[in-house]
Amino acid sequence: MTTESVMTKPGRAARVAPSVLVGIGAFVAVGVYVLVSSLGLGLWTSLGPGPGLFPFAMGGVLVSMSVIWLVQELRRPSETSDGVDRGLVIAVVASLAIVAAVMDLLGFQLSMFLFLMYHLKVRGRRTWISSLIIALAGSVGAFYAFNYGLNVALPVSALSPLNLIGL
Amino acid sequence: MDILNDLLGGFAAAMTWQNLLFAFVGCLLGTVIGVLPGIGPVAGVALLIPLTMNLDATGAIIMLCAIFYGTAYGGTITSVLLNTPGEAASAITTIDGYAMTKIGRAGAALTIAAVGSFVGGTIATLGLVAAAKPLGELGLLVGPPEFFALMVVGISLLVALAGKSMVKALISGALGLLISMVGIDPVAGAPRFTFGMDRLLDGVSFVAVIVGVFGLSEILSYRKDPHAATVHAPGLRSLLPSRTEWQRSAPAMARGTGIGFGLGLIPGMTGSVSSLLAYGAEKKFSRHRNELGKGAVEGVAGPETANNAHANAALIPLFTLGIPASPTIAVLMGAFLQQGLTPGPTLFTENSEIAWAIIASLFIGNLLLLLLNVPLVGLWTSILRVPASILTALILLFMVIGAYTINFSVFDVFVMIGFGLLGLALRHLDIPLAPMVLTLVLGPLMERSLRESLEISQGDFGIFVNRPISMVLIGIGVLIIFSPLLKLRKPKALNEDPET
Repeated sequence: MTTESVMTKPGRAARVAPSVLVGIGAFVAVGVYVLVSSLGLGLWTSLGPGPGLFPFAMGGVLVSMSVIWLVQELRRPSETSDGVDRGLVIAVVASLAIVAAVMDLLGFQLSMFLFLMYHLKVRGRRTWISSLIIALAGSVGAFYAFNYGLNVALPVSALSPLNLIGL
Repeated sequence: MDILNDLLGGFAAAMTWQNLLFAFVGCLLGTVIGVLPGIGPVAGVALLIPLTMNLDATGAIIMLCAIFYGTAYGGTITSVLLNTPGEAASAITTIDGYAMTKIGRAGAALTIAAVGSFVGGTIATLGLVAAAKPLGELGLLVGPPEFFALMVVGISLLVALAGKSMVKALISGALGLLISMVGIDPVAGAPRFTFGMDRLLDGVSFVAVIVGVFGLSEILSYRKDPHAATVHAPGLRSLLPSRTEWQRSAPAMARGTGIGFGLGLIPGMTGSVSSLLAYGAEKKFSRHRNELGKGAVEGVAGPETANNAHANAALIPLFTLGIPASPTIAVLMGAFLQQGLTPGPTLFTENSEIAWAIIASLFIGNLLLLLLNVPLVGLWTSILRVPASILTALILLFMVIGAYTINFSVFDVFVMIGFGLLGLALRHLDIPLAPMVLTLVLGPLMERSLRESLEISQGDFGIFVNRPISMVLIGIGVLIIFSPLLKLRKPKALNEDPET
């Protein structure tokens, strides 16, 4: 159990990491937004507790805990974990966002084939043969396995030419 | 006799070829998830929920339960062969498991682990059978105030035991509750935090949130391990333990079962605490304690038995009281709710046949795991030889399919991406993820019981302290939350456990 709160001695030269300050700021902002919105929803009605009561309490917890965390950090800054691999984060998030954005238009098979080729051939530097086999299995293979094997419908293309050829 | 009849009825229902197939596939998938380093049990179970949506409730839950305890065994394989635990609860097994591999006894270590897992899991399931009826009947006596108080205790324990800082755990818990409140308010019908988006009126899908927070963020925070060892599958001949190894393992398995079963009942305790304590017990009580660390079979048998006994015992609070004891069980509870089943005392009155079929399937699943895992050890190790880039691409593929098929909408894929980034930020800030999952699943139930209680009492909060059961439970919850001031200690393993 942590006892690091108000009992800890002030740190010497260490400073609070900027990412921690941003995090605390974000939690306070969300908490304040929730507190204000909850008041608008109504904390109490003639029948009893209103729809805003529970969120109001949680907004309060979020703001108060964030403030305590800030006090703890000012007294003794915590060590943050290692930084992230930004290239990996951008590649994965952007490719996922693109595949989600075009899936209804291009259909599952084509969009997922391109997605897998990007991760296997471009990022993973696998050979053409293995990339093609895995990408086809993961796109066309998965489409048929889910649609016909598990009865789970994955999307087909909204574009007629692609739709006509079964994509 | 009633219980025996119910259980036999459960076996009859579980022994259909479809349900056996679901248990078999669940065990396979669970083991694969346990083996893969990139995906833990929480995200793994959440990811596979959409696959089970078209199944009937019994089949779906049988498969998900099999996935759940399959992961507990899968993690052992990498611990023994690679010195790298596939999941946190198997971390301690690396010490003697890998030492056994180095002296050529890897196969024996894996067999002992499989048998220990079977013994621990089966005995814990017998505990569930024995506890189901009495605890379920006791649970029927509770009204909304007691139910609310019970959830307060469950959440308090998880918050108190998760991560290094209770302040951060409370932030995580509050975030989970706030996410669960998005959508139409369950009592008054008012939309909350929907930002004018119709898609959010039904709330945020918990599967997309969990896959994002636990699964995608794990991939986003991946860093290459330059010291990764090469995998060698042991030959089939070396899979058989010697007579001495069996004799030495038996008392370790007995101790592991007791420890895992006891701790599995406590919400917030994770499998890694059980396996760690079981290892500690071997250090203290084993006749061959001097050999621990050098490839002693007790160092595998004790923790692995404890790990599986824990996993199965943790289902007891879920089935009887409706309280999930760990994040993975919380995900399982979400799956129950999606199938229209409410875990807890009413499960045995309203859906008795399904409940007993699931319990019977736990016995079958444990046996299947024993039969599957040892002969297929070569297959599991070959999965580990698949390059990381291919595994990552395939895991991402399943994440997209899993998120899309929740509502057959790409909106949920975007939700998953958003929560993946949130999970990455939370990991970076050292905020534990477990309280968030628990409150995300329990949030709606908790709010409903709070509001129902206050409606009964016409707004008087005294209802929680005027009724004896809820008063005691609320008192326990408060005590847990203020435990840092009382300077109570918690197991160190919980600070580092990624499941929390």
